[in-house]
Amino acid sequence: MNIKRENALVFWLFLAPVILAFVVVIVVPFFLGAYYSFTNWTSSARADSTVRFIGLENYIGSFKDPAFTYSFGVTVVYTFLNVIFINFVAFSLALLVTSKIKLRKIYRVGFFLPNLIGGLILGYIWQFLFNNALPSLGAVIPFLSDLAQPDNFILGKPATAVIALVIVGTWQYAGYIMMIYIAAIENVPAELHEAAMIDGASPFQRLRAITLPMAAQAFTVTMFLTLVQSFKQFDVNVSLTSGGPSTMFQGKPILGTELLALNIYNTAFLSNNLSMGQARAVIFFLVLAVVSLIQVSINKSKELEL
Amino acid sequence: MKKLLLVMLVAMMATSLFAAGGSEAGAAKAATLTIMQNKPEIGPQLEAYATQWGTANNVKVTVKSIGGTAGAMGPQLKADYAAGDMPDIFTFDGLESYKEWEGVVLDVSSEPWVSKTAVAFKYNNKVFGAPVAVEGWGMAYNADLLAKAGIDPKTLTNYAAYKAAFEKLDGMKAQLGINSVVSMAAAIEMGWVTAHHNFNSLLANGLPYGDLSVVNDLLAGKVDATRLSEYADWVELLFKFADKGVLTTGNYDSQVGAFATGKAVFLHQGNWTDPNIQGANATFKMAFAPHGSMKKATDGIFVAAPSFYAINKDSKNLAMAKKFIVDLVNTPAGHSYMVEAAGMIPAYSGISLQPTGQLSKSVQEWSAAGKVYSWSQYYFTGDFRDKTLNPIYNQFASGSINKAQFIDQMTKALVANKQ
Repeated sequence: MNIKRENALVFWLFLAPVILAFVVVIVVPFFLGAYYSFTNWTSSARADSTVRFIGLENYIGSFKDPAFTYSFGVTVVYTFLNVIFINFVAFSLALLVTSKIKLRKIYRVGFFLPNLIGGLILGYIWQFLFNNALPSLGAVIPFLSDLAQPDNFILGKPATAVIALVIVGTWQYAGYIMMIYIAAIENVPAELHEAAMIDGASPFQRLRAITLPMAAQAFTVTMFLTLVQSFKQFDVNVSLTSGGPSTMFQGKPILGTELLALNIYNTAFLSNNLSMGQARAVIFFLVLAVVSLIQVSINKSKELEL
Repeated sequence: MKKLLLVMLVAMMATSLFAAGGSEAGAAKAATLTIMQNKPEIGPQLEAYATQWGTANNVKVTVKSIGGTAGAMGPQLKADYAAGDMPDIFTFDGLESYKEWEGVVLDVSSEPWVSKTAVAFKYNNKVFGAPVAVEGWGMAYNADLLAKAGIDPKTLTNYAAYKAAFEKLDGMKAQLGINSVVSMAAAIEMGWVTAHHNFNSLLANGLPYGDLSVVNDLLAGKVDATRLSEYADWVELLFKFADKGVLTTGNYDSQVGAFATGKAVFLHQGNWTDPNIQGANATFKMAFAPHGSMKKATDGIFVAAPSFYAINKDSKNLAMAKKFIVDLVNTPAGHSYMVEAAGMIPAYSGISLQPTGQLSKSVQEWSAAGKVYSWSQYYFTGDFRDKTLNPIYNQFASGSINKAQFIDQMTKALVANKQ
């Protein structure tokens, strides 16, 4: 056995446990799932539960369901808002805690903390804030008395409930993204800033001409993470709104803030239609893969090489 | 030397894989019984009883409690079914979920407990489920507040009586110290209150127990416009006199809390709220009054078994699974678990213990008087109730549709549901 072959063997041996796990829990279920989306599989002991191949029926049925198309739309809106909000807030926070402000280490920890709380619990905490804390505040402070009106409850209308999801999503995720921005900002060579200052550049000019282009690599990563995270949002959605309140779409009453992941779950387990849920998951995967590939290639083209 | 190391490495990895497979096969030999049930609130009590029972019968019993809103236990059961790891005993709530598991539910018609209960789950004249308990709901009322307002709860049997009472109570808000007359919830996460329980008033109120005429008509897409319009009046009345915050965005805690703290006179819930109300240190007298969903008097509340134990036909321990349920019904320890530990109303005769909760007692009184109506909501699929009806109630509650639109949407939904 020569050295090269031996190295290759060791390489694959060390990789084997990970590859095995990856194949068993990702690759196999993925293709099995794709297969089931073309069948009438229910995973239950119904009298007529033999698995039959039914072609594209699940896919066609999904696009005919107003709840699914609406869910698609609301997820796109939510993702768009969420990506902008999270990155804006995270970058501002990163600038703040990399400046010479006092207690900046403590701020870093504080901003990061919400990310350590589970999404379900976060949702319930914020549900309490929106439904109880804000209205009580409105009842005490005359200036905010509108908040105490049940008609104005943030979770009471679909449009504002989506905003509520964005607020909670940002609160949860901005700290994490902030950490990535901090690393990027601190990696900008100090001599660039010094040279710019000698030339008389204002802080804003330095931000625009030095910090932002130098942090472009971080933007590729953060945009990707926030995009995927927002698209896949599930736990906060379940606990904060459960998909409510209801709204009308194509003449049918449907759930107004049901994001795609929740719609897939509800289709599979509330409607007991596992194979259609699986079909929606495949559509979900394809859309997310295409969108994130486009995003990464656009971001990559803007990165700088020193 | 290096070669030897490599061979050893390969050998170690291979054996560790086999070892992992081997140890599991060895552990499966001891007699085990797995129970999956949908009431996490009584999970610890059932576990304690099952462990005690298991020690006495030399069986290792595992209790899995998975609850929450509709379909909560479903995903786990489906995963276990796909994995070939179904529990020996599991609970289901009615016809639609029975159909989901038809292929594995054992026919228990010849079990000794069948003659002791009136509410076993039957299908095609065979018994398939042992009732877990008896539950009931109606309009729970705060008797002290009603007495203060001079309203006799016995008169509350139809729409007109409720309307008069609600209007009178609404005018005495400050005097009674209440925020609203009814504590009602219609947020999406509370869809089981509207689209399951309240919906049942349309299906079963005023009909003889077990009468499925309205259900069958609706399932066939035939909507009785008069019945539906009377029902819509009732829903409107409940929504109109409810606290709007609790109604549109509140959860279970805020709904039950408003009643328990005396901020609402009526509560649209069932006797399962007893422990929550006791937990809030409520001291007032309370009981159930009938629903007023019709013009005619309907003197009874909705009482039935909320779920049933099914025995898995393919269980390796069929005899033990059967014995578990027989012992639950026949032994003092079983009685003590059901009534004293779990606080449930027993569904079987020959049990002398009584639950202590006021609302549970009220259910027993209505039941003893024979003034009961069925639970028929489970004849409709979870999909229809949660994804079609729930949004309609939610919009009616938030005011985005009016009563005429509510009736129209309900009619459309029921016609479209025709099978």
